[in-house]
Order: sequence, then C-alpha cells, then structure tokens
Amino acid sequence: MRKEEKAAVEEVKKITALDAAYKILSCLSILLLFGLWYGVSALYPHLFPSPYIAWQRFLTLLEKPIMRVSFPMHIAASLKRVVIALLFAWGLGISFGVMIGWNKKMDAFFGSIFAFIRPIPPIAWIPLITICFGISEFSKVLIVFIGAVMPVVVNTHDGLVKVQKLYLDVGEVFHANKRQMLTEIAIPAAYPSIFAGIRTSTSTAWMVVLAAEMLGANKGVGFLVVRGMEGNDLPLVLVAMITIGLIGALLAIVTSMLERRLCPWDNKK
Amino acid sequence: MTANTTEDNREAKVQVRHLTKYFGKLHVLDDISFDIKKGEFVCVVGPTGCGKTTFLNLLTKIYEPTSGELRIDGELADPKKHNLAFVFQEPSAYPWLTVEENLRFGLKIKRLPKKTIDERVEKIVRLLGLEKFRDSYPSDLSASTEQRVIIGRAFAMEPDLLLMDEPYAQMDIKLRFYLEDEVLRLWREIGTTVVFITHNIEEAVYLSEKVLILSNKPTTVKEELQNTLPYPRDITSGDFIDLRKHITDQIKWW
Repeated sequence: MRKEEKAAVEEVKKITALDAAYKILSCLSILLLFGLWYGVSALYPHLFPSPYIAWQRFLTLLEKPIMRVSFPMHIAASLKRVVIALLFAWGLGISFGVMIGWNKKMDAFFGSIFAFIRPIPPIAWIPLITICFGISEFSKVLIVFIGAVMPVVVNTHDGLVKVQKLYLDVGEVFHANKRQMLTEIAIPAAYPSIFAGIRTSTSTAWMVVLAAEMLGANKGVGFLVVRGMEGNDLPLVLVAMITIGLIGALLAIVTSMLERRLCPWDNKK
Repeated sequence: MTANTTEDNREAKVQVRHLTKYFGKLHVLDDISFDIKKGEFVCVVGPTGCGKTTFLNLLTKIYEPTSGELRIDGELADPKKHNLAFVFQEPSAYPWLTVEENLRFGLKIKRLPKKTIDERVEKIVRLLGLEKFRDSYPSDLSASTEQRVIIGRAFAMEPDLLLMDEPYAQMDIKLRFYLEDEVLRLWREIGTTVVFITHNIEEAVYLSEKVLILSNKPTTVKEELQNTLPYPRDITSGDFIDLRKHITDQIKWW
C-alpha cells in the first residue's frame, strides 16, 4: 500500500505536458502585461512612458541617487521599517492572540476593544500618530506595526479557539497539565492558522509602509513614488511600482519557505 | 502463557463494584460489578446505545459514579496515581508530530527520564514495524497505519489499564484482521490489562480472554463469559462459531 503511494508521488514529480503548459501560461500573462504596457505607451507617448524609457530610467536611477540615497538603500530603508515592525507584530501579536484565544475571560475583556479597533485602517492612524510622535522613523514603524499586528492576533486567536476537541481529549487522557495543554497541544495545533496570520501580516506590512512613506519620508520606495509624481517623472513612478511588486512577491516567497520549514506537516500539495 | 490455561491464578487488577450512574432521573448504569485480572484482555459488547460511552467514561474517571466504586490494585482509582490510557475511535495522532514524536508524546507529558522514553519507544517501533515511518507525519500515513501509531502510543505508556473504544470500527475487514493480531502481540509483549469495546462480536471472540455482555439501559452486565479458546484462534472452527452465536443471542435477547 505504502509503496504504491510512494510510486505515485514519484510519478507526479516527472514533468508532464500539463505542467509545462501551466509554466507557459504564467509566463504568457506577464508577456501580455508588457504587451499591453507597450501598446498604451505607443498610443499615448506623451502621457505614458514605454517599457524602454522605464528601463532607461532604472539604469539612471542606479547611477544617480535621489536625495543622496542610492536606489538599493531606498529599498533597504523600506524593508528595514517592515522587518522591525513585523518582528514586534509577530512577537506581541502571537502572545496576545494566544492569551485571548486560550483564556475566555481575557477574550471577553479584550475582545470588544479589539473588535472596535480592528476595522480602523492603519492609514487612518497616521494623523494621530503624527501629532504624538511627529514624522519620525518611529511613527512609520508604528503605523506598519498597527497594520501588521491585526491579522496575526485574529488568526492566532482563531487557531486557538478552533483546536479540535479530540486533540485536547487525548491530552486529558495523558493527564497533561494546563500548561502542557497549551504549549504541547493547543499552540502546535494552531500553527497553520498562526502562519496564515504571519503571511497576511507580511503583505499588509509591505503595503502599509509604502503608504506611510508616501505621506512623509525622505527615503524608501514609497517616497520614490511621491518624488516621481511631484517631479512629473512618470518613468520613476513605474520603476518604483515594479520594484514594489517584485519585492512584495519576494516577501511572499520567503514567508511560504519559512512556513514550509516550520510547519512541515502542513504541506498540502 | 497463562492466557491458554483454564486455571487463572492472576490477581485482580481492576475491581468494579456496584457501579451505578444516573444523569438526573435517567438511569444509565445499574449496579455493575466485575473483576479484571492483571494482564487480562477483556472485550465489552452490547446492543447499540447501551451506555457504553458512559461506562467507559466512568472507567477513565471522566465521570464520577452516582454510587459504587472502581479500584485498581485494591486502591480507589485515581487518575493522578494510576495510569489509565485510552484509545479513541477516531484517528487521534497529532498531525504536527512525526510518528516517533507521537509515540513519545504521552511519556514526555509524564516527564519520564529520557532513557526510559527511548527504550519504550524503540520497543513499540520494533513491535509495530514502524521503522520506516519513524519520521513521517500522520498526514503521510494510511488510516490504518495512523491507528497503529495511536495504539502504540497508548501501549508505550505501559498503563495499569488500557481502554480501547472501538479502535478498528473504521477499518475494512482485511486490515482489521491484521490489526487484531497486532494488538494481541502488543498485549502479550507488554502485559497490559486491556478493556476493548467493540460492536463486532467476531472481533470480541477473536481477541478476548473474557467477554462482558452488556444489557440495554439501564445497563448492567448480562453475562461475564470466559473465553478459553486457544490463541491463535480460528474463526472458522466450531467452538469459535458456537461462542459467537451464543454472544449474538445474548445481545439480541432483550
């Protein structure tokens, strides 16, 4: 029985014509997008820069820093804000989510405040945070943190609340104490859900940092977008947008790799 | 092996006396008394809805009886002191642990010394032939292999009393035969006292040294039957079929 299964898995690993078709299709969509871009820029050459002009702008950008900050350092500035905010969001978000997911009293106490704060978009915090902390590095990290911590808390809470009763019953039968029930059963059982929160928080953080930078910063990828808009430098805006897209996709890949590493049992292929 | 002798000198491990349970006015269990000898394999059969779950939950001390008592080694059963293990009907391996980690789980919870854990887990892995699945996750296993892991996990505890709630109910007949032989092997090697609940009368006759036939509600022990057929048993032999028929009639006759 088991051998057959293994053989079946190996069968799948061979690249079939269908697999190739999927690969081609996903490349095709990107080509189409570029085609569309090219078409639009050919129709309205004065309004919309062509891919070639954007490429040229990209090469200049590599040579000429903006605001005395090189292009890679703009990316690094945004990433640094995201990473710091994410580390705090994961640490505090998971702890808080576990606390309200495991303890009914805590849930009752914090649940209502949380339900009220959660729907407020992180951008809406900007005026308040600016009044309190100015347009500082800390303000930006704080805004990103607010955006990133919500999905972590929500998913962690959900994961703990929805732990299968059977898993806890087994723990009961083995006479696990309260702490073991939490650390050995409930939290591991909630890992996939916690990771869903981490995945969402990463993409949210990347979106929020750009918004925060667009509202006041002197470096970062979001700042480049604003700079391009203000200086009527549309190629720069496009370069920044593509950078944002690529880095966002890269972040998603990194998180899913991390997930595969930390939750190896949850690989549904 | 003592299992094959007619004279059974083993001391009583579990003594159940006048166990009675009411849920409000609902009389579920009525004055149940029986003994289980040390290392005995007892099967419990009964009509559907006969309070089997309540019976089990009383044995695991999840419920307190309305009256009566349960003694293990002559002392009142105490989940803190006595080691009562339980195998659920549903596959209950932890998906986030590998096969080996699942086998270790209960022992780790009990904080046994690492050496003891290693020894016991190795023994179970060997007895169940799980060597090549050691590092697999339950989601990679077939349902029957997962159930074997769960049964191994319970036996690894070397419990005073192992309760099994229809562990093979969801298996097809071929796997069932195989798993029945396996549970007998574990039981013999480890010497655990087993209470095995089943709906399958053939399974009860195949496995048990003693069969408890339960009645309808309010449940009581209708008959306590010694099963002295020599192991390994032949399900086509005349004695086997007679015993099976007898139990079937006892259950039907309410």
